[in-house]
Amino acid sequence: MIAIIGAGPAGLAAAMTAAESNEQVVVIDSAPRPGGQYWRHLSKVEGYKSSRSAKYFSALQENEKIIYISGAQIWSAVHTENGITLNYLAAGIESSITAEKVILATGAHDRAIPFTGWERPGVMTPGAAQALLKGHNVIAGQRILITGTGPFLLPVAVGLAAAGADVAGIIEAHSPLRWLKSPLALLLNPQKSIELIYYLRKIAKYKLKVSFNRAVISFDGKSATIAKIDTELRIKKKESEIDCDVIAAGWGFTPDVTLGGILGCKQVVDRDGTVIFAVDGDQRSSVANIWIAGEATGIGGADLALIEGHIAALSAHGLTIPLRLRFARYRSQKFATALQVSYPVGNGWQGWIEQQSRICRCEEVSLGEICASVSELSANDARTSKLFTRAGMGMCQGRICSRNVSEIIASQTNCQVTEQERIGYSNRPIAAPISLGALADGIK
Amino acid sequence: MSASTGSEVSFTFNGAAYEGVPGQSIAAALMASGVRELRATRFHKEPRLVFCGIGVCFDCVVVVNGVANQRACLVEIAQNDEIVSSK
Repeated sequence: MIAIIGAGPAGLAAAMTAAESNEQVVVIDSAPRPGGQYWRHLSKVEGYKSSRSAKYFSALQENEKIIYISGAQIWSAVHTENGITLNYLAAGIESSITAEKVILATGAHDRAIPFTGWERPGVMTPGAAQALLKGHNVIAGQRILITGTGPFLLPVAVGLAAAGADVAGIIEAHSPLRWLKSPLALLLNPQKSIELIYYLRKIAKYKLKVSFNRAVISFDGKSATIAKIDTELRIKKKESEIDCDVIAAGWGFTPDVTLGGILGCKQVVDRDGTVIFAVDGDQRSSVANIWIAGEATGIGGADLALIEGHIAALSAHGLTIPLRLRFARYRSQKFATALQVSYPVGNGWQGWIEQQSRICRCEEVSLGEICASVSELSANDARTSKLFTRAGMGMCQGRICSRNVSEIIASQTNCQVTEQERIGYSNRPIAAPISLGALADGIK
Repeated sequence: MSASTGSEVSFTFNGAAYEGVPGQSIAAALMASGVRELRATRFHKEPRLVFCGIGVCFDCVVVVNGVANQRACLVEIAQNDEIVSSK
């Protein structure tokens, strides 16, 4: 049996390819419906090539070789005699499944950066605004400001505007001229330019206001303060206020590496500080019988995820990877690198936040408390600061704040965050919170 | 605020009656009705709504039919659900 974890583009591509041989395929996904964060089931929201998910969804539902387990949160994974055992919680009941081979396609979530007022209702990630719209047909608020950095801001803004939302504007931290640093990536990916033109036309159609080299540095619940910033995100000049009740702020993505980490798959730090898995040319991890595809091997978007999913499944069946697929992956990876070059996230955001602003949302730990753990209690790394302040010890298991806490401690102590620390804060021994009751009553 | 039509699922939130569309998450259904606070935080009693919207951040946790710590952004509304803010 081959188990595929995740039903986003990478997992669905892997499932479809894997089902072409005679092996039983199981797809386990935490969401109630397939598609991951990128494709939302039955979404009618306007967007570039938004209909190509249909064939993957129908394979999942109709192919007899695929068993699809939805709404299942895998909380632990162990190597056993017969393969890899995955323990999951579905509808409050604990169950497990053992597979000889596993393809991890666990995806990513938006990276969030704190600013003064980011804990107020109405501040969310672009992924949240997108999920509310595409997954639930709800427009997040009366007037929505889109901010942060990267091309993902465009489909979010356009999707909202097309659905009738009042979009207050797109505030992009960097200049589009940064793309001139990556001519090869642009040449190798002409389809990306077509996609960009599609969105530029939509931006014109919906009369969306786009600003560059700027960021939202604070929010009082009714309006956002915009500042001109440099490429390190340091404030150059406070400029204006924009009225809005929702701010969708996104700073790239953080892959979910937890399960692979638990299973011992080797991780590395990408050039932008993101922790990802080391895989070979066939998407094989460092551990036998585990392949990894999609964002967890480097943030690259849905196109790259689809290709990697196909390659992982072919490799899992011992089949040859066609050169065409290898080249397609190569050019998508070049584009992914160009994204990192064009939309870097510097540490200047640390100058946006007031001392009383929360950094850890779960445990409500403020910037002032984290700084005091360094200046008064002599914490010299994030781990020690965490023990003093509880930053990163809440229900999200540090998924939202731990990278930011590490960057703050590094700035306070005039150090760089080490690779070992980055890998440390990206991993957790239990993949999702589980109650002792569910654990004790679970069906094994 | 909802872009869709037809309200078919009835439920309560902190005792007040609400309606939503089948398949909608608790958070989406409440936000469509204009709710801006799903819970207040433990220590500083700050209002919280949805943040990541995809089940990662646990900012939106509520009590659903007596079961605590349910993520309102993931759990779909069901007829006669009794939802209360986490304490």
